[in-house]
Amino acid sequence: MIQAEHVSFSYSDQGPTVQDVSFHIEKGDFVAILGANGAGKTTTVRLIDGLIRPTQGKVLIHGADTATSPVSERARRVGFLFQNPDRQICKNTVREEILFGLKTVRGDESEEALNARCEEVLKDFGFSGDEEPFSLSRGQRQRVALASILAVEPEVLILDEPTTGLDYLECCHIMDRIRRMNREQQVTVVMVCHDMEVVLDYAQRALVMAGGKLLADGPVREIFRDAELMEKASILPPQMIGLSLRLGEGFEQADTPDAMAEAVLARRGEGGKRHEN
Amino acid sequence: MIVFQDLSFTYKGEKQPALQEVCLTVPDGGFLGVIGPAGAGKTTLARAISGMIPHHYSGDYYGSVTVNGLDTVETSLDEISQLVGMVFQDVDSQIISPMVEDEMLYGLENFGVPREEIPGRVEDALEKVGIADLRDRTIGSLSGGQRQKVAIASILALKPRILVLDEPTGELDPRSSRQVFSLLKELNEEQGITVILIEQKIMLLCEFARQLAVLNGGRVIFQGETREVLAHSDELQALGVNCPRVTTLSSILSEKTGEKQPACINLDEAEAMVRRLIP
Amino acid sequence: MKTNLFQYVPGNSVIHRMNPVTKILLTIVICVAAFLSGNLFYLAGLLVVDLLIGIIAGVAGKTWTIFKGLLKIAIFLFVLQILLVRNGTPVLWIITDEGLLTAARVVIRLVVVCMPLALVLAVTRVTDLTNSLVQVLHVPYQYAFTLSTAIRFVPQFLEEMAGIMEAQTARGVAFDKARGLKKFSMILPLCAPLLISSVRRTDQTAAAAEVRGFRLRTRTSGYKKYPFTAVDLGAVLFCALLLAGAILLK
Repeated sequence: MIQAEHVSFSYSDQGPTVQDVSFHIEKGDFVAILGANGAGKTTTVRLIDGLIRPTQGKVLIHGADTATSPVSERARRVGFLFQNPDRQICKNTVREEILFGLKTVRGDESEEALNARCEEVLKDFGFSGDEEPFSLSRGQRQRVALASILAVEPEVLILDEPTTGLDYLECCHIMDRIRRMNREQQVTVVMVCHDMEVVLDYAQRALVMAGGKLLADGPVREIFRDAELMEKASILPPQMIGLSLRLGEGFEQADTPDAMAEAVLARRGEGGKRHEN
Repeated sequence: MIVFQDLSFTYKGEKQPALQEVCLTVPDGGFLGVIGPAGAGKTTLARAISGMIPHHYSGDYYGSVTVNGLDTVETSLDEISQLVGMVFQDVDSQIISPMVEDEMLYGLENFGVPREEIPGRVEDALEKVGIADLRDRTIGSLSGGQRQKVAIASILALKPRILVLDEPTGELDPRSSRQVFSLLKELNEEQGITVILIEQKIMLLCEFARQLAVLNGGRVIFQGETREVLAHSDELQALGVNCPRVTTLSSILSEKTGEKQPACINLDEAEAMVRRLIP
Repeated sequence: MKTNLFQYVPGNSVIHRMNPVTKILLTIVICVAAFLSGNLFYLAGLLVVDLLIGIIAGVAGKTWTIFKGLLKIAIFLFVLQILLVRNGTPVLWIITDEGLLTAARVVIRLVVVCMPLALVLAVTRVTDLTNSLVQVLHVPYQYAFTLSTAIRFVPQFLEEMAGIMEAQTARGVAFDKARGLKKFSMILPLCAPLLISSVRRTDQTAAAAEVRGFRLRTRTSGYKKYPFTAVDLGAVLFCALLLAGAILLK
């Protein structure tokens, strides 16, 4: 549903920030874009939504070139969650904020339908609706931003470092909600994320970038197990994968602490000796 | 040495205290990591050490904080700030100059560092953080990560005895974050600089910090040597504080094997533990 | 990425090397001269001086952008003036010769005066500007700091504004289809959160300055010194020439 065909992008005063990148993303994919600072990740997701236009090549969403239609018309289908929720939130209550998003892109529907949808989302996210966004914590504001984007039921969700500055629980809240949308409603997710543990926990597929080029594209676990690739892209794999690589044979599947513990116990024979007391 | 004695602080105009009865000691040359969920009072803690509380932010203040024997209430902010360097969470509000070089000079000029010492200090600090090439750039032309490095370098140039950093790697990728942590470790070990580091990146924090303090709801819930604090991994997770995966692994294995495994804080230790367990 | 109009452009031209105080003097002299003289030829000459300064400083592109921007305002003002001024002999319809002259004077003055004000920021680091004000002209540091923070604030504000517009466009607000006044009226309601975050930031910036010895700074604190050189002498002589010309060619 998202096709990038030989996309390049450069700012006028600098060298290319994205160079000849091609990939296809299917409906329901959960893709993470990985790479060091300056690898071109953020530029790539902005290119996908057409916030910036490729200097070469093209990006197609549902076969339509994103350069030929305004970004704002795409908002019904493509939601974009930025790192900083404060740039998005512009209303005084959470309810108004969500309604504003709904009216902007689903203005053709009846007032009652939109109100009903808004209440549904509020309930789902556990907001009363009367909260003032700016008195909430950063993590909660990020949830408000996510709620107002998901309210319009987009088919594609683009996330640019959505968990930066959030604590662990807030991070889980946001990511769990996104995974649910992905699994239950087949929402396609494209995410830029620096936290490899989050990537391992949530994404299925990874695009690896370095110096504006696409180095690899494949299932997250395979990508992380490719030591040479990780080195090239300046990525440190998640801890359990790093550990399983060091331990070698018999630990290939151990990418969570539980799986690793199981593998260790299995190696000790008979599932390990259990002390019941 | 930094000593908090029953510090409680409520910002002016707020009802909830930001810190409650905090008792905390950071020894000279210590490396303290501070973790805790949002709103736990981590930034307030940093402000109390740097003297911004009570000198810049006013409110109800009970108890005391002493930094190298100086009570922060009685000592002027200027005096404290020559001892304590502070890196803010929001880089854009910390950086006050439009150019990198000017930002580096600012504190040096104000604190009256001798002229002949200044160029060396600027170069040194830029070099250490690995941004010597950015010296003549405008701040506006830098990425978030680069700005963060400038903020850190500008504080390092002041050679503070105590460094307080409030989530200094938020905009940095894992590799650059690790570099910053390694640099802090080096400063701590070689120059005896006391480091207080607030971070959400728990894996790095546990690997580098020698002591940990866990905050929740304005209170210090745990404090002590990193490994001791991590031994409470179940309680930490109940509070919403994540633990490194290797620590989770050591706690699962302790339970399942029935042998007490010391809490692991890095890959090497985890590997050693597993190899010990499998014949 | 976006080159800000008022942002410093590094360089090593004569203009760059000039003492910041001299640059301020030159700016003021051009302004004063523009108001002293009503001679259209002289004013046009000043305009050429403005453009030449920009070219010598190696910021021709920027100078041109500023000039074009000012020209738009100038044309608007010109039309307004010729329609408003009633004195003099009619030339065409309700337009009088007096009106034409006044209008021409007003708009050239506007462009002549605004150009160096914008250019001075393009060829001088703000820190040099404020430091030299403090060191040479003995301006209290607090005022100089306020000035430099205000200037530093402009690109930050624009960056934030661009970020907000991008975020709003992505959620369907049709910024990308609106133009001119329409766009402006769409941005306005979004400025509330922008202001809130700016104010919050200003307070933190003050704190950041305070913990780096803001209060300890004295007139002599600056690392860089700003001596007057031959270039400055030349510039001062040029200033005298401009003023003399303005008085002679009233």
